[in-house]
Amino acid sequence: MKHLDAALHTRGESAYVDDGTPPDGLLHAAVFGSPVAHGVVRRLDVTAARQREGVVAVLTAADIPGDNQVGPILADEPLLATETVHFRSQPLAVVYAESPEMGRAALAAIDCDIDELPAITDPRQAFAAGEIIDRPRQLTLGDVDAAWEICDVIVEGKCDLGGQEHVYLETQRARAWPLEGDNLRLQSSTQSPYATQRTVARVLGLPLHRIEVDVQRLGGGFGGKEDQASPWAAFAALGARLTGRPVELVLRRDEDLAMTGKRHPYQADFKLGLSEAGEILAYEARFFQNAGCSADLSMPVLDRTLFHSNNCYRIPHLRVWGVCCRTHLPSNTAFRGFGGPQGMFVIEAALHKGAAALGMPREELQRRNLMVNGDLFPYGQRVLESRAERTWDEGAALFDLAAMGRRVEAHNAEHLGSKKGYAVMPICFGISFTATHMNQAGALVHVYTDGSVSVSTGGVEMGQGISTNVAAIVARSLGIAPRRVKVESTNTTRIANMSASAASSTTLLNGNAALLACHSIRRRLDALLAEKLSLTADQVVSVLDEQVLVDGEATDWTWNRLVQEAYFARVALSAHEHFATPNIWFDAVSGKGRPFAYHVFGSALTEVTVDVLRGTYTIDRVKILHDLGRPLNRSIDLGQVEGGLAQGLGWMTLEDLRYGDDGRLESHALATYKVPDVYFMPEDLEVRFLENAGNPLGPFHNKAVGEPPLMYGIGVFFALRHAIEAYVGEVSLPYATPLTPERVLMQLHGRRLADIVAGTDGQEADASSQDEEPSLTTA
Amino acid sequence: MSTTAASNRHPIRLTVNGEVHEREVEPRLLLSDFLRHDLRLTGTHVGCEHGVCGACTILLDGAAVRSCLMFAVQSHDHEIETVEGLGTAEALHPLQEAFRDTHALQCGFCTPGFLMSLVPFLAEHDDPSEEEIRHALGGNLCRCTGYQNIVEAVRLACRRQRQGDAHGLGEGAVPGEMS
Repeated sequence: MKHLDAALHTRGESAYVDDGTPPDGLLHAAVFGSPVAHGVVRRLDVTAARQREGVVAVLTAADIPGDNQVGPILADEPLLATETVHFRSQPLAVVYAESPEMGRAALAAIDCDIDELPAITDPRQAFAAGEIIDRPRQLTLGDVDAAWEICDVIVEGKCDLGGQEHVYLETQRARAWPLEGDNLRLQSSTQSPYATQRTVARVLGLPLHRIEVDVQRLGGGFGGKEDQASPWAAFAALGARLTGRPVELVLRRDEDLAMTGKRHPYQADFKLGLSEAGEILAYEARFFQNAGCSADLSMPVLDRTLFHSNNCYRIPHLRVWGVCCRTHLPSNTAFRGFGGPQGMFVIEAALHKGAAALGMPREELQRRNLMVNGDLFPYGQRVLESRAERTWDEGAALFDLAAMGRRVEAHNAEHLGSKKGYAVMPICFGISFTATHMNQAGALVHVYTDGSVSVSTGGVEMGQGISTNVAAIVARSLGIAPRRVKVESTNTTRIANMSASAASSTTLLNGNAALLACHSIRRRLDALLAEKLSLTADQVVSVLDEQVLVDGEATDWTWNRLVQEAYFARVALSAHEHFATPNIWFDAVSGKGRPFAYHVFGSALTEVTVDVLRGTYTIDRVKILHDLGRPLNRSIDLGQVEGGLAQGLGWMTLEDLRYGDDGRLESHALATYKVPDVYFMPEDLEVRFLENAGNPLGPFHNKAVGEPPLMYGIGVFFALRHAIEAYVGEVSLPYATPLTPERVLMQLHGRRLADIVAGTDGQEADASSQDEEPSLTTA
Repeated sequence: MSTTAASNRHPIRLTVNGEVHEREVEPRLLLSDFLRHDLRLTGTHVGCEHGVCGACTILLDGAAVRSCLMFAVQSHDHEIETVEGLGTAEALHPLQEAFRDTHALQCGFCTPGFLMSLVPFLAEHDDPSEEEIRHALGGNLCRCTGYQNIVEAVRLACRRQRQGDAHGLGEGAVPGEMS
C-alpha cells in the first residue's frame, strides 16, 4: 500500500496550514522578540507600532484575557514576557496587521528598553549557579560504590554533546477563526492538537470545549511541534479573539530558528569499571542537561536519558544522575529520541575508553555485555525478549563485520593520506511515553451506507505514515479495500484528550484504538449475520475482500449488502473505542517500574574514510539490521529507518548549533546550519529487518519504528574516532559532538595546528591532553 | 488603490502552466510569494527563504530555479511551470508516479521542489549514473526520507522512460503491501 498522501504530495495539492484559501479579513501576526538573552524590562511601548500602516492591533502580556502561561508541565513559561526576559528573541509583543510585511515593518516601531544581565549558556555553569529546574533525578542498580573495588580497570571521562535543530521544512504556523459566541477554531501545525487546545484555552481563559483544533498534516515535526507548536497557535487565537478577525501566523525560518527550542545539549561525566576479561561491573554517569530558559519537556527528556543510559548493556552496579540546568537559551524540547540518544552516547563513549584501557577491540567489549533475557534495566524492568544478541550476531554475519574490519585495517596499513574506521552501534529503545498516563488513544470509525468508511484517531500525519497505517489496519480488520477507508484530519471535537503524536507510539496507540473500534462494529455486524443467515454458534463469520464468508465459504452477501442490511435493521454503524497500553507503570520516587511496553533492538555497522590532510570524511557504508516485529508496511517502515538514521548522522557530524556567549544563535539560517544532503548520505546504505520477530502488543505484531533508528547514527562518531586514532595513535581525544570536519582536523593535528595559527609553533605540541579540545578560536 | 501604492507597482505579464496572467506587483515581491498568494498556486512551498533547501523550485523557461531567490517582476515575459502543471490527476507525470511508487516522500513539503528540479534532468538523462543522480538532487533538502528512495525514484523514472513504460508499474517498484 502506497503512502495515502502520495498523489496529493506529488501534485502539490496537499494542504498545509496556510495553503487553504485565506478567509475574508485575514490578519497576519508578527512577533516581537527580546533583543537580549537576559535582562530586566524597563520599558515596552507599542504606541507607535499601533499607528503604523496596516496595523490593526499590537498586544502585550497585559492584553491576555486568561493565564499568561504556556508551560506544559511547570508553569514557568509566559506566552509574552513581562518584567524579565530569559532568552534572546523571547516574545514580548505581537503585531496583527493586514499583511505579513506590514506586521514585520511595525516591529521596528516597538520601543523596548531592557537592562541587560549576564547570560549563561553552559549547563555546568548554570548548575554551579544553582539554576536548576525541578529536582535532580537518579536511578541505581546494585551497589556501585562497593563495586569499584572489584573492578580491574576503571576509566573516567567527560562528554560534551551538541544540540540539534529540527529543521522541519514547514516552519511553525497556525490559523485561528473566531466563531459565534466564545468559540474558536484553529488549524495548527502541531503534533499535539490537545496540548495546543489546552494552551489556547488557558491563555484565553476559556473551557476546552470552546476551542477546536484541527490538523490535516505537518510538513515535518520530529518533536519540535510536540509542545512548541502551541505558543504560535495561542498568538493566532489571541489575535482572533481580541480583533474578531481570523489570524494567521507563519514564522519565517530565521525567526523559527531563533525562537524555538532544539534537542538538548548535554555535558556528562562517566566512570566505568570493568573486569580484566571485559565484563562491565560498574557504571556511574552524571548528566548536566542544557534545558534552556524553562522546563518545557526537559524533565521527561532527562528521564529517558537515564532510562537509556545503559543502552543494551548488562550493568550490575549502576548509578546515573541527571539534572535540568536553566540557561538563557530558548527552551529545549522534544526531538526524535527524546533524551535517549544522549544517554546512549555516553555509555558508548565509556566503552570506547574502557576497551582502549583493556587493549580489547571495542566491539568485543560491546558484544560481551549485551543484555540477555532477565537482565535489568536501570529502572528495574527486566528485559523479557532481548534481541540484542540476535541483531548483533545476525547483523555481523549478514554484513560480514569481520571483512569490514579487515578492509579497514588493510586500507590503513597501505594509506598515509586517508584512514578508515568502523564501528558497531547496537541499540535498545523503550516504547511508550515515559509519562504513563499519556499511553492512551481514541479512535472513531463511521461506516456509511454505501460501504465507505471514515476513521478519526488522535494520530497526526507528519509524513511518518500514520494515516496509511491506520487505513491499512481498518481495511484489514473490516475485510475491505484500503481505498474504501478515508482517514480524517486530527480534530479535537472528534477525538478528545489525545496524546501527542510522539514517543514512536502513534501507530501502537491509535492503530490499536482503531482496531478496537472496528472490532466493535464487526461484532454487531456478525450478530446481524448470525440472525439473518440462521447461523449456529460454532459457525465462523468473516469478511475478506468485501465478501462475507461463513466457515471460509463464500455467501451471496457482500460488504455493501451487509452495511445496507445493518442500516435498515437499525444497527449502529459507528464506534468510538479507547486503547490504553496495559501493564506499564513507573514510580518517580523510587525510580523503579515498568515504563515500557516493549523494547526495539537493532544493530548498525558503519564504515568511514577520513582525509587526514583536510579533516573531511565520507560515510562509506551503513548496514542496519533492525527489529520491527512484523512490518506493517515495509516501505513506510524502511523510510522511517533511513530518515531516522540521516538525522542521527547529522546530529553527530554536521549539525552545529552555535550560540554566542551573549545567547545569540549564530547558525540561524540553513546556510549556516547544515543538515545532511544527498551527497552526505552513505553510498552503500542497506537496511534489513529481523526475520521471525513478532510482537504481541503491536497492531498485527508490528513494532514502533519512529525514533530508534536515529540512534544508529551514533555509530558514525565512533567510526570516525577509529579512523582518527589510526592516524594519531593511541590518544585520548574529547568526546565532543558534532564531530565536524573542523573538529576532525583539530583532533588529527591537535595543538600543533592551533600553535601555528597562534604563532607559537615550535613549542611543545601534544594532542593527547584529555578532555580538553584544541580549537582554532581558543588557541 | 491609492496613487502611492499604484506608483509602487509594476505591471507584469507571464505564462504560468500554460495560462497567461497579467498583474501589477510591488517590485520586491518574491516570485514564490507571488505564485502562492497572488496566483494561489500553493504547491510551491517555501522552506528556508534563501535558496538553500530547494522546496520552492519551479521551471523558468524550462530551467529549474528557486522562486524564493527571484522577484516576481523578473518573471515578466517568461514562462513558468509549477508542480500544479506537472501531469494531471488522471495521468501523473512519470516522476510523480516514480515518487509515489518508491515511497520517495513522507511529509511532502519538499516533494514539489524535488520534482521540479528533476524535470529537466529526466528530459536529458535516460540512464544516469549514481553520481549524476546525486548531482541532480544535491540542491534539494529533505529532512524525512534520508534520500535513498528519492534516488530510487529517479532511477525508476529513468528506467521507465527508457523502456517506454511511463504509466505501468514497471520493474523495480518497491513492494508496499502489508506483509
